[in-house]
Amino acid sequence: METLFALLIGLLIGTGVFLLLSRVIVRVVLGLSFITYGGNLAILTVAGLREDAPPLLTLRGPYVDPLPQALILTAIVIGFATTALLLTVALRAYQVAGHDDVEAFGDNLARDPEAEDGLIADPEHQGPDRPDPEEPRTLVYSARSPGGGEP
Amino acid sequence: MSDLAWLTLAPILTPLGFGLGLLWPSPRPVRVGLALAGAALTLAFSLGLLVATADGTVLTSALGGWRAPFGIVMTADRLAAWVSVLAAVSALLAVWQAAADPDPARERHHLLALMQFLFAGVQMSFLTGDLFNLFVAFEVMLVASYALAVLGSTREQLREGFRYIVMNLAASALLVVACGLAYGVLGTLNFAHLAQRSAQLGPNTTVTAVGVLLLIVFAAKGALFPLGFWLPGTYPALPPAVGTFFAAVLTKVGVYALLRVFTTVFTGEAGVTNTLLLLFGTVTMLYGALGAASQREWRRILSFLVVSSVGYLAFGLGVGTGEAVRASVGYFAVSVLVTTALFAVAAVAERASGSRLVRVRGMLDFLPLLAGCFLLCALTVAGLPPSGGFVAKYALVRAGLAQGSLLAVLGVVSALLSSLITLYAMLKVWRGFFWGQHPAWLPVYRVSPSLHVAAYTASALVAGLTVFAGPIFARADATAAELRDNARYIRGVLGDAPVVIPAPPTGEEAEK
Repeated sequence: METLFALLIGLLIGTGVFLLLSRVIVRVVLGLSFITYGGNLAILTVAGLREDAPPLLTLRGPYVDPLPQALILTAIVIGFATTALLLTVALRAYQVAGHDDVEAFGDNLARDPEAEDGLIADPEHQGPDRPDPEEPRTLVYSARSPGGGEP
Repeated sequence: MSDLAWLTLAPILTPLGFGLGLLWPSPRPVRVGLALAGAALTLAFSLGLLVATADGTVLTSALGGWRAPFGIVMTADRLAAWVSVLAAVSALLAVWQAAADPDPARERHHLLALMQFLFAGVQMSFLTGDLFNLFVAFEVMLVASYALAVLGSTREQLREGFRYIVMNLAASALLVVACGLAYGVLGTLNFAHLAQRSAQLGPNTTVTAVGVLLLIVFAAKGALFPLGFWLPGTYPALPPAVGTFFAAVLTKVGVYALLRVFTTVFTGEAGVTNTLLLLFGTVTMLYGALGAASQREWRRILSFLVVSSVGYLAFGLGVGTGEAVRASVGYFAVSVLVTTALFAVAAVAERASGSRLVRVRGMLDFLPLLAGCFLLCALTVAGLPPSGGFVAKYALVRAGLAQGSLLAVLGVVSALLSSLITLYAMLKVWRGFFWGQHPAWLPVYRVSPSLHVAAYTASALVAGLTVFAGPIFARADATAAELRDNARYIRGVLGDAPVVIPAPPTGEEAEK
């Protein structure tokens, strides 16, 4: 039983790592999910597998240790939330880059926001590196043209 | 359990409560006031913890009334209180910066609330006494940091944020596996109980393997060399106020976890992990310093300095003697405060010159006081004599030489060399930004005075490191002594009576 689980965990995590190395963003996300579930099964196995023992005290014993199951439950919830968040980021990146490809995503995003394609990641939320159009900044020191004469 | 046990929960619940309050739509002055109040109150509670643990008391509060090895406990000893205060100081300054530098678009999407959730997660990681709860705290902290890393969705943020998230999720999966293995081998997850059980078990290769697994996870979170590639790209992409807190504290959470796990918990397995830490630390110091010297933008330079400072901390921990741990604990304070100050200075400098690049020249005429602050921080980060950084680095170097193994001596050489390179990088900033004649065609912008105040306050704290080096190192001494002898921690958490695990119920009682 443990051997079977060990093989299964190896398969899950191996698949996860393979997917993680892919260029496609969605595959990266899927790969992380595979790794997470491999980890969860590892906790279950490490704490000891029993075929005939329930974790609930209302059934006839002997009982399996309920703590790893509680840990896995927590880990599943957290993994679910982080996967959802990562998918949202991936979706936003896809909207910006126009490809579901890590390479293109890197290249396209690396381009200057004022590049010729004019794509701005999110016109509504501009970074602090660009001045806010509503609030023109005050100059302490007046700008002069480089070749201009003395005032 | 003492009457003050509630104090261990206060620094976690305060930012959590204020963060929830900040989600409620309200006018900006109210939100800013709430955010500042939340951070200030957290600092007050953390200071309370610092005072309460000063005599070596270990405060413990058991959640839900479940006693120590069975339930989750929040624990504060000297080390936890110390780092909790440092994080709270940095948090207050970061909120102050966010308040002084309005960012309407991000604030509409709850920038201030997310910062409070981040503070809650960080405080929870410092004050937890349970390995799995440490994972949960990491996730609370990291989910808030993921949101902050991509909030605003600029191209740079999305590219770097995606890498940051994937890296940390992979590390978290590894942490879950390490928790499972630790539970499988030792049958518990409570730090104090883990320490007790692993001491009973004696040297054990499986426990060492779990230790190495934890080392890899925490090294990834703390950006030690081979696993820290994500940091120098991610931190400069963040908005300045958020970047300040990220740089000053988030990597230190990984270092704190290393300190906690390899001094209090797995003390018997020190050989392998200490050698690895020494190796990682030695390389990280040089890598960070060389990276800083290679960059041209304010916050890219500073991000590499963050990496370098983590290297010093890991080096001290890897040397492993009492003196070295003491130096690491002292350097922890230096690193957090000086990073906060440098990022605050950088925020003003970037705003004033309207550029991220360091190469502006002649800003000394416009920002003389800021230049003074920068010089102080530069001396501290390079570790030159009139600063607190010198005291800490001197202690580290002396501890390394006293230990005397070949690897430690190599580490000392690397520490000295990287201090020199750091000094060169800082001088490059000084020459590029402050020195020389300001070119007439470059504009100089007005920066809001309260942003200046944040930089001055942070620099004043850095100066305070020099003035109060004595008390700080006395405290570090006591902390290191406590870390080396974990009996007090174990007794504080588990009590004097030996832990009795009740026999598993057979099921007949449940039927009745």
